[in-house]
Amino acid sequence: MAAVALLFLVSACGTSPAPEPTKSAPAAVAEVTAGSTFNDRDVMFLQMLVDHQQQGLDMAAIGASRAQRTDVADLAKAVQLTETDELTMMKNWLTEWGKPTTVDKRVSVHADHGGLPGTTDAEIKSLKTVKDAEFETAFLNLFLGHQHAAVEMAQLELDKGANELTKQFAERVKQSRADQVQQMLKLLNG
Amino acid sequence: MRRKIAYPLAALGMAGSTLVIASPALAHGYVSSPPSRQAQCAAGTVKDCGAIQFEPQSVEAPKGSKQCNGGNASFTVLNDESRSWPATTVGTSVKFNWVLTARHRTASWVYYVDGVEAATFNDNNAIPEAIVSHTVDLSRFPGKRTVLAVWNIGDTANAFYNCVDLNIGGSGGSTPTTAPTTAPTTAPTTAPTTKPPTAAPTATTVAPTTAAPGGSEWAPGVSYKTGDVVTYNGVSYKCRQGHTSIRSWEPSIFTLALWLPL
Repeated sequence: MAAVALLFLVSACGTSPAPEPTKSAPAAVAEVTAGSTFNDRDVMFLQMLVDHQQQGLDMAAIGASRAQRTDVADLAKAVQLTETDELTMMKNWLTEWGKPTTVDKRVSVHADHGGLPGTTDAEIKSLKTVKDAEFETAFLNLFLGHQHAAVEMAQLELDKGANELTKQFAERVKQSRADQVQQMLKLLNG
Repeated sequence: MRRKIAYPLAALGMAGSTLVIASPALAHGYVSSPPSRQAQCAAGTVKDCGAIQFEPQSVEAPKGSKQCNGGNASFTVLNDESRSWPATTVGTSVKFNWVLTARHRTASWVYYVDGVEAATFNDNNAIPEAIVSHTVDLSRFPGKRTVLAVWNIGDTANAFYNCVDLNIGGSGGSTPTTAPTTAPTTAPTTAPTTKPPTAAPTATTVAPTTAAPGGSEWAPGVSYKTGDVVTYNGVSYKCRQGHTSIRSWEPSIFTLALWLPL
């Protein structure tokens, strides 16, 4: 991988396309490197999503253990697995760029007009304490809000990001969360 | 504290955003169940809704409207009665559940039926509870009705609007809230709680007729069980965790936790 990265450095003149995740492909997401062309938006997106996703993983873990409905528990478990790998990858990319993997303060894209994020510690705590009979509805509604917010963050990256792999990742975030939203709405009302 | 924000919002380019759809800055919340019209669009239950499909939380407009779109010109589809919005059959006491993507100080939550105020919940400018739902007595409004649910924001001039189509006090339908009314005589035969995961939109839960050597071709909208084998780009994979497949969860290096290459 070092050779690949070096090659890329040599060929990177700002506008050159980022390398494909090469054919001599990495065997795990942890080995995927982002490449050295990036801007502030890429960093911001990854930092925001790392924080957001850590909350999401907390929620998914509660969902996986408390949901009585198999379909809801399966979704929570699948999210847990995929997002755990994504989290590792995002942190690696930030580290690769020499950037912190944490944010100073959690922000909402609505903060300019006083909106708190959809997910705070209070929401996560409520999932632990809500009655069993109300758990599925509570989990689905809170996780819907959470994944809608991830789509919004991904769109920020797609608008102004520079790093090709980060933009590809943002597209996957947008698609997967949008489809999860669809699934969750069906689970709520099916 | 709100001043100390890691990223100035201006830096996020929220204002002059180049989004094709409306700016996500306008997105805050909606009624998810019983499903509002925007929730039906987002779920894919009602097709061809336009931009609202991707942002059901965005029906924001100045306070005081009685329209389904609140007067927001981006979402006129929500006012279109010719779309024959599916009505959810409910009892006379209905619990409305909200999804919030931003928690705003809240003046009130108001429910109207045919222009009549059916219920108001005053929040007195507080941040919403973690889980937002309201139980509303709609016994005065039997039959097919459209409920307008409004979230009046406390610290802006705006509100969020939702039309929820209901068949109130209807019989025969299954709803989350009407369990007790059905006579228990036919209980054993119906197992209402454990519907098979009616696989999502494109869901052609393909019976392996086109069975490739290592299993059928991966597709979105299919309910896969642990141990199921699929092929994707000529490679076979085994499912490691049951799930209903979605875009970007196809077998790849990014989904090794779901699909193990064989």
